[in-house]
Amino acid sequence: MPNPGRIAPFLRRSAPSIVLAAGFVCAAAHAADTQEAAVDPKVVAALKTMGEHLRQLKSFSVHADTTIDESTDEGQKLQFGGTIDYKVRRPDRLRAEIDTDRQQRSFYYDGKTLTQYAPRMGYYGKVDAPPTLRELADVMKEKFNISFPLSDLFRWGTEDNDGSGLTSAAFVGPAKINGADCGHFAFRQPDVDWQLWLSHDTYLPCKLVITTLDDPTQPQYVALFTWRTNVNFDDKTFAFEAPKTAHKIDIAAAQAAGQ
Amino acid sequence: MTIATNRRLVAAIALALSLIATSVDARGTRTSVGSAGGGNASRSTSGSASRSASVSANGNSGSVNRSANATSNTNVSRSTANGTTNVNVNRSVNVDVDNDWDHGNRWDHPVAAAAVVGGTIAAIGSVAYSVPPSCVPVAVGGVTYQQCGSTWYQPQYAGSSVQYVVVSPPH
Repeated sequence: MPNPGRIAPFLRRSAPSIVLAAGFVCAAAHAADTQEAAVDPKVVAALKTMGEHLRQLKSFSVHADTTIDESTDEGQKLQFGGTIDYKVRRPDRLRAEIDTDRQQRSFYYDGKTLTQYAPRMGYYGKVDAPPTLRELADVMKEKFNISFPLSDLFRWGTEDNDGSGLTSAAFVGPAKINGADCGHFAFRQPDVDWQLWLSHDTYLPCKLVITTLDDPTQPQYVALFTWRTNVNFDDKTFAFEAPKTAHKIDIAAAQAAGQ
Repeated sequence: MTIATNRRLVAAIALALSLIATSVDARGTRTSVGSAGGGNASRSTSGSASRSASVSANGNSGSVNRSANATSNTNVSRSTANGTTNVNVNRSVNVDVDNDWDHGNRWDHPVAAAAVVGGTIAAIGSVAYSVPPSCVPVAVGGVTYQQCGSTWYQPQYAGSSVQYVVVSPPH
């Protein structure tokens, strides 16, 4: 059994509970098959710590190298690479460059409108947007079926991660991600397994893996993060100016459920 | 072939394309966890304590390793690499491809051509995911169209995909 004192730096802040937890783990090891025991409160606390550190970032950028699985009709799994660059200024500014092997999109959000731009195709569309970043991803998904990959980064920073909804939360072990020391955590919830690596130094995510379980091929989405937390962005960063060659098009409202 | 037949055919193709799009969306790979730990994910409360085989049993054991080692293939040496299996890679994943992706690409990509709703007469309201390269962008009254001979398309975003809706000629 790993030494609980070494499992994760997230525990340092609450030393008395480590002792309690160590005793608890040993005592409960044989009776750990219940749902309650599967959600390790120390791991939920680690999520919370990450959330606090995300919340403290008022202005930051994060780059993600991503891969996404897609399956052919024959069930052969294919992997497509991509990159994501988010520039964030809380509470109401976002600039996103989301490129994959198949698609390139830029997003500009200024607290009033969201512009979606396809640089290669030259199309842009603009819609009204909610007043804060916190609501942006959910509202855009619901109204226009626009998804922001890794929108958890904005959600985690603003919500109280109390662990409800998780059916399992566990610490897996230490890991090196791009040379940095990170802690590896594993989570389960209905239809989704996910893994998160958190930096020992910054408490920010090093890596995220999402496994979609309600698809029989169980495709995965993988993101490796590079953070810049000492950056300032002016308003221009978040304002879209249409190039002369660009054409404005509509963003269609999402169809009703069951489309 | 009569025009009426043509229209039905085109409509059928458009319908088929939209069905493909729907099915891809429905089984799409998640790119965010959603409200995990946030509290509003519906938690299954079946009390059967179904033991998930991997990480869950206790918080800090090494039980993860077993399943990870057992199942993952790390090379492709056993796959049929003889080239006879002509896998249709495009069909299920092409709907998200930007239609200008292939221009200037050295690799021949059959999708762009295949996804085009014919060069004849398309039914008003039918939807395509790309238009032939010969189409011309035209702005009429502040609206962007793609004119392809006598057929006019109005591009729009559906989510983050660009689709082309066949419309009546604007003038």
